[in-house]
Amino acid sequence: MVRLSIFAALLASLTATAQAADAPAEIKLGTLYASAGRYASISLPVHYGLKLWIDQKNAEGGVYVKAFDKKIPLKLVAYDDQSSTATAATLYNQLITQDKVDILISDSGSVLTSVAVPIARDHKMLLIDQTGTGATFFTPDNPYIALMADPVSSIWPKPLADFLTHDGPGLGIKRVAILYATNDFTGTQANAVRKFIKESNSGVEIVYDQGVPTETSNYTVLLNNIRASNPDAVVHLGYAANDIAFLRNVQDSGIKFKFLFCIYPGTENELLEKNLGNGPLNYVFTYVTSSQMAYPTNFGMPLKEFKEAWHKKYGDTKVEFGFNSVAGYTTALVLEKALATAPSLDQLELRKAIFAQSGTLKTLDGPFELDPTGAQIGEITPLGQLVLDGDHLKLVTIWPHELANGKPIYPRP
Amino acid sequence: MLVYSLLAGLLFGLYFSLIGLGLNLVFGVMRIVNLAHGDFLMLGAFLAFWLFTLFALNPVGAVAIAFVGFMIIGLPLYYLLVPRLLRARDPEMLSFILFFGLSQVIEAVTTIAFGTSERSIPGDQLGRAVTAIASLFAGHPVAPGPVELFGQTFPAAWVASSIASGGAVLLVYLYLYQTRLGYLTRAVMDNRDEAIATGVDVHRVSAIAFGIGIGLAAVAGVFAPFILGSITPAMGGEVTITAFAVIVIGSLGNPLGTVLGGVIYGVSYMLMQSYYSSWANLLPYVLLVAILLVRPSGLLGRRVRNA
Repeated sequence: MVRLSIFAALLASLTATAQAADAPAEIKLGTLYASAGRYASISLPVHYGLKLWIDQKNAEGGVYVKAFDKKIPLKLVAYDDQSSTATAATLYNQLITQDKVDILISDSGSVLTSVAVPIARDHKMLLIDQTGTGATFFTPDNPYIALMADPVSSIWPKPLADFLTHDGPGLGIKRVAILYATNDFTGTQANAVRKFIKESNSGVEIVYDQGVPTETSNYTVLLNNIRASNPDAVVHLGYAANDIAFLRNVQDSGIKFKFLFCIYPGTENELLEKNLGNGPLNYVFTYVTSSQMAYPTNFGMPLKEFKEAWHKKYGDTKVEFGFNSVAGYTTALVLEKALATAPSLDQLELRKAIFAQSGTLKTLDGPFELDPTGAQIGEITPLGQLVLDGDHLKLVTIWPHELANGKPIYPRP
Repeated sequence: MLVYSLLAGLLFGLYFSLIGLGLNLVFGVMRIVNLAHGDFLMLGAFLAFWLFTLFALNPVGAVAIAFVGFMIIGLPLYYLLVPRLLRARDPEMLSFILFFGLSQVIEAVTTIAFGTSERSIPGDQLGRAVTAIASLFAGHPVAPGPVELFGQTFPAAWVASSIASGGAVLLVYLYLYQTRLGYLTRAVMDNRDEAIATGVDVHRVSAIAFGIGIGLAAVAGVFAPFILGSITPAMGGEVTITAFAVIVIGSLGNPLGTVLGGVIYGVSYMLMQSYYSSWANLLPYVLLVAILLVRPSGLLGRRVRNA
């Protein structure tokens, strides 16, 4: 019996030694960011959010990896794609084939994620999709993608469309104009708004429906055309630069739409306020994102604490805090959970570990929930309205009713 | 819709004439392509932003500072870069590479200084200047806001930038046709070797033209936050491509051609936005290819020879 115990102890110690010897010196996270170009203002906050977590974990001696039952330091391999999809495609390949990263994380936004989806799939690497929400990325036959920190674009505008079709007719909203940038992110949202409105049979009709290139920076003629269609509500779906140009043109043209929706006033609030001031944003409807609404959490820093940590670390970097900052950190939290539970670093095991968090993990970004294709469906985007309160803008949640803390002001005074 | 698109295109196109004017002047005199032209425009935009943010200076005031400041920068830059370039076997081709490099350097340094996010100047700033000028002419206070032209309303900033563009074109013409330096500049544009043979100080004339070209880019930059929505350090490349299309449409080396090219571009762009909006951004490239296939010397190509 004694001999058997000694043998068992020896075996256990040998196994442990072998496991420790197999453990890598570091876990390589490979990602891209855009330091310049059209997507820099949505890419850098995501990248900084991720980096904040990496620095925190490395200061604690690394992240716990269940596969090796120990803490292992994280190494970030990050390249600058400068907002170019062609450069991004080359660099994603480089991360997989040359740097041989353990975990592949896409750049922010659907445009720069779109090129990563087929590359990751071809190399059988799980793509940790941070904020690429284009609905076409997620298909039942592709297990190599999971969306971390934004709802898939096809459900982003559900609260907006529900408000227009449920409360809208009662308020006098019957004619809706849609102007969108033709990319995966906003194009998918436009399709969804169109579908939700048409399927609602609420009597609300779409009287203007046009797509413009994402690079559009001047909307004066388009605004005149929208005005000519006499809409009760105008929905503009574009990136931050599009929203800035669009809202400036609305202001400069002296046009007052009764209802005006844009994505980024609620998403990158600091950036939009810095560029536009309060006037053009007053009464604008927008998404209430997790950078504006504190969700109960069961893992990671809550919003207030994260915002303080962000400003402490990046206060002087000229990168504004917003929804994308939260998104980068949320990606990190999901990864931390996955590494702490996955039995190995095999890509499909990582996927399984991430999917196991679905429905249980609650971060500052809201409840984490994936559908079977890897699309994020838990983190919702309520509809809100910016209203001037003294000398600052307050975001009032309008829809859904159970989350609402105010009534819509319609028509705009 | 059609009338509005045409008028908006005219105003928009005049602004792009201003953007192309400096690029064309540099090409006309030196036969080099300044691929950093859009980056000098971006620097002018950031200068206006900086002057407004720190000193609350109205962009109209920034126009003169931008022109003089960047013209002064352009003179030593010419002597640093261009004479060596012109000694090369193929200066036109080499200029692409050299100024592309310069463009990258300018963008990187500006990114370090200002960050990558969008920056703007409040839209009503140019409007205030327009209102003040309009009140002066009308003899009574004019209400601020959009400006009415032929029954259509346009942002005051558009009208201001169009007036500035028209003014800049006029001044360049006066310079070229009414001053001795302009006369010498046209001589260099016509035939550089003959100008040297007749004793013209070609480098002095070219340096001033280079400075004016960069100064005009900076002036266009002052209006960029109002016409292009916002500014970022990365905006230069796209602007250069459009400006290049504008001057090729009109005619390389001919300032009047730049105005024509700008107006054609502006009107076509606005019509595209109205009727085929998804395809609007393809327009500069389509026009560029079409003109190169049908009339490679540009619409006013013959005038280059007679400058």
